[in-house]
Amino acid sequence: MKRAGIEENLLAILDSVSDSKHTPDANDDRLAFLEAVRSACIVNENPPTSKMREAVFQILRVGKSLELITESFRLLNELDKRFPRVYLSEKEASESSHLVVVEEGWSPFLFNLEKASREREAGGRSISGPLDSSGFLQLMQELAEVANERKLQALEIKSLRNMLLFKYLVNALEGDFLPRNRVYEETMNWTHLRESLLNMLLSTRRINYKGLMKDCLSIMCGLFGVSAGISDDLESPDNAASKPSHNGNTASALALFELGNNACIALQKLLIMIMDLDMSRKKADMQGYTTRADGVRTPLMEIILDELSYDTDMLSPFLKNDLQVFNEPKWKLEIILQYFSKYTTRLSTRTRRSNGPTEDATTFSGVLNCFSNITNTRSISKKIKADVVQVLLAHAFQAHLSSSSQQDADGISASKDEGRSTSLVEICENIISAFSNLRRTDAKMEILPIGKEALFTAATILSTETGAHV
Amino acid sequence: MDAPLDFEFEDPLLNSPVIVKKSKKVIGLDDLLTDHYQEKSKVIERESKRAKAKKKYDSDEDDFDKEALLSKQINECHNQMQEMSGEAEIATWGVHVFGTQKPLPVLTLPELGSCSLLRSFMSSELNSLVELTTEKVETFLEGLLVNGWLSKLVNTCSYMEKSIAKWTFYLMLYSSKEKLRASACDFWCNILFPRVKTEKLPIRIEWFPSYCELRSALETYGFLFNYLSRTESIINNSGVRGPPKNIRAWIKFVAACCCVRNKRPVFSTSEAEELVEVAVFLSSDRQLEGLLVLLDEFVQSVISYFTDEEWNISCEKIARSISCRRVDVHSLLISFACRSPRDLNCLQTVECISGVSTRGNHLRSAISYQILLNCFDNKASNEEEILSFLISINVKDRSCDLFQMYIYLVLTENWLLSNPMFELKPVIYEMWGVYLRNCSCQITSTDMRPYASKGSLKFEPAVQVLSIQNTISF
Repeated sequence: MKRAGIEENLLAILDSVSDSKHTPDANDDRLAFLEAVRSACIVNENPPTSKMREAVFQILRVGKSLELITESFRLLNELDKRFPRVYLSEKEASESSHLVVVEEGWSPFLFNLEKASREREAGGRSISGPLDSSGFLQLMQELAEVANERKLQALEIKSLRNMLLFKYLVNALEGDFLPRNRVYEETMNWTHLRESLLNMLLSTRRINYKGLMKDCLSIMCGLFGVSAGISDDLESPDNAASKPSHNGNTASALALFELGNNACIALQKLLIMIMDLDMSRKKADMQGYTTRADGVRTPLMEIILDELSYDTDMLSPFLKNDLQVFNEPKWKLEIILQYFSKYTTRLSTRTRRSNGPTEDATTFSGVLNCFSNITNTRSISKKIKADVVQVLLAHAFQAHLSSSSQQDADGISASKDEGRSTSLVEICENIISAFSNLRRTDAKMEILPIGKEALFTAATILSTETGAHV
Repeated sequence: MDAPLDFEFEDPLLNSPVIVKKSKKVIGLDDLLTDHYQEKSKVIERESKRAKAKKKYDSDEDDFDKEALLSKQINECHNQMQEMSGEAEIATWGVHVFGTQKPLPVLTLPELGSCSLLRSFMSSELNSLVELTTEKVETFLEGLLVNGWLSKLVNTCSYMEKSIAKWTFYLMLYSSKEKLRASACDFWCNILFPRVKTEKLPIRIEWFPSYCELRSALETYGFLFNYLSRTESIINNSGVRGPPKNIRAWIKFVAACCCVRNKRPVFSTSEAEELVEVAVFLSSDRQLEGLLVLLDEFVQSVISYFTDEEWNISCEKIARSISCRRVDVHSLLISFACRSPRDLNCLQTVECISGVSTRGNHLRSAISYQILLNCFDNKASNEEEILSFLISINVKDRSCDLFQMYIYLVLTENWLLSNPMFELKPVIYEMWGVYLRNCSCQITSTDMRPYASKGSLKFEPAVQVLSIQNTISF
């Protein structure tokens, strides 16, 4: 009863506010509401009701001032952190963790078709209530527009709001997915993942999943450029002179770097989650836990590999930008290795006979071995353009460097690859010989900046490592 | 106030565009206010109609003039109404904590060419592939930085030489290219938060920036440490007002430094105290609105920098210092910008400190208390005196400024509810209960004064929370 009382009182603040009203008074009421929810729920630890969360979410979706959208974003995240809908129950160390799902808990997504359409009929407005999959698709398309046009449009409140909204949604998906995936890995109970928001979002037939994923990839490199590119535009002297005292502009430009960058990170998080889901799904498929109702979905990895080989004439945008943005080492390396394995399988089986079983394109050192002599290098260069090879090798090297330092950190020495893994010194030597061989196959080949940087790094590590050993 | 007469609603003449515009604006209590103005305008129009009626006997030729007169009067009335509603408009928070920005230093680091990282490489035979020359050094290093190689190198070699440290640090604080400053900031954060969890930073760093450098960067950005100098910069409108975009990297870096105290204490206690103040003031500038989440993390990391013993002393110190500076700003605004003393900034000062942590709550409570003490201008010197002063205010009195009351209400709520210990005497909470009841009984829902509705909205949840926590029974 107390909760209901609080809810009624808090929601009363918004009584005179409708979604389309953006007068200073209305905005002030919204702020007062956010502050009141914060003080009631976060400071005084009363769990928020669904209606309260819904109202906060609605402010994030329609808010027209920077203050409103950032405040509501912050509050939603704090609420989710303090009162999660899905979490692992704390048990004794011996027992496996147990998943707790608050069924009546609010979520920003609504995938139940009937319910969604009923609500839509009742509400009569498109922008109200939790998002369904087509709402998510629309958000992604709007983000893609901003990311690809690279105009000052990005400074508009709508674009900033979309970035924040997207980041919040990814946070919500993550909060739901991570505990479920952990329990799945322990119990192999696919139901947990089948009911995850992420799985429901992706498996609905109402959206074009492949298109959505391609949008994601193009947004990632676009947004990266937008947040870096526009900033420099804004700071150019012409702009500064024309609007010397434009405070609002400073505020949104500052916000743009922050939000654009955050959206980029969120996007990467989303992609990694999808690949993790794909992996769990593969396991469940093999063990026969999935049913026909689960449908079929192309794994994200395959879509990415398609994108990689899409544009053969010039470096695909994925190669040029996404790999730079996408810096999670494990998956980055995985993507590159799988790409190489598409072109080197036959080669490596051929060489396997002559050189023994070490030649294998499924590890980084295996790939590097393919470039260890001129004959092999030449035969690969016929299939993959030298530019592409350079970019891929450089990024794989980078991912290898990050993941090896990560492994040191985790203290994992008995990882699967341990038997085949090669020392850092060897990797560096092999990188250098790979690039030298590439140059030898084509003397006119220009070494790309990223290739030069990789070479420099390899050489420097080599000199310090060997110097230390002497 | 007189109720409008029935016939007035039917009079089509009264549907002036002005009224139509107004009437669709707000509902509820604010509506009543609008009604009030509407009626006023009606009265004026009625007068003018009367005047027109009086002259009815004059020749019809005057009609044009009369119409002109009428429309003139309506316009005047419109303007008047706008002025009136302007007065009642809600003030918003926002101060300029940045004045004129100084020119950002040009990055010339002569040592960069002599950086041993590159020197040894340039003489190696591998350079035939890379073709690195002295002129290209800076561009090449920028590439290494932006593409993330530099941090891999430093991590793998566990060593960062002075020239690289300085170069990246200055890029972060002063470069005009977002890519460079963002990469430089990531680079430093990466070094401060290595994946290897050890007691010391695993990387040997030849040069580490001091607080002095960070502070002078803020000064270059135009940050007004000394708030009394604010007037000059407000009046002097030439030059670019700060902050430059680098402020984002600055905030991130300082927040990161605060998190690694156990590995590398960068700030002294008094420096950290100043940083808390800086963090709070940055949150009061609307230019940084979009960085809310970042600023929030910043405040949290700075307040967790202190040890427990330090915090108990520093928290009070910070609160006193912030409330004093706030008053300076406040009085300056009154004297120079001729603004009425309506100031929501003090609420922003309190509310920007998120109450998610115990220390955050503690600071919130302490600042609210200090501001209240300052508000009463030494008329109250302790908790009881503040509350008895508040209780003594007669809110029914029409001259009572409800806006001021609203501010007191919010400050008191923060002071008492955010207090993590509930260590105050029970009598305090009883007095607060009396004060809240005073407000709720005396400000009726039909009160026309601005902020009547806001006040009532504010205390209802407070009463509820209070009763739930059973600290007091109503």
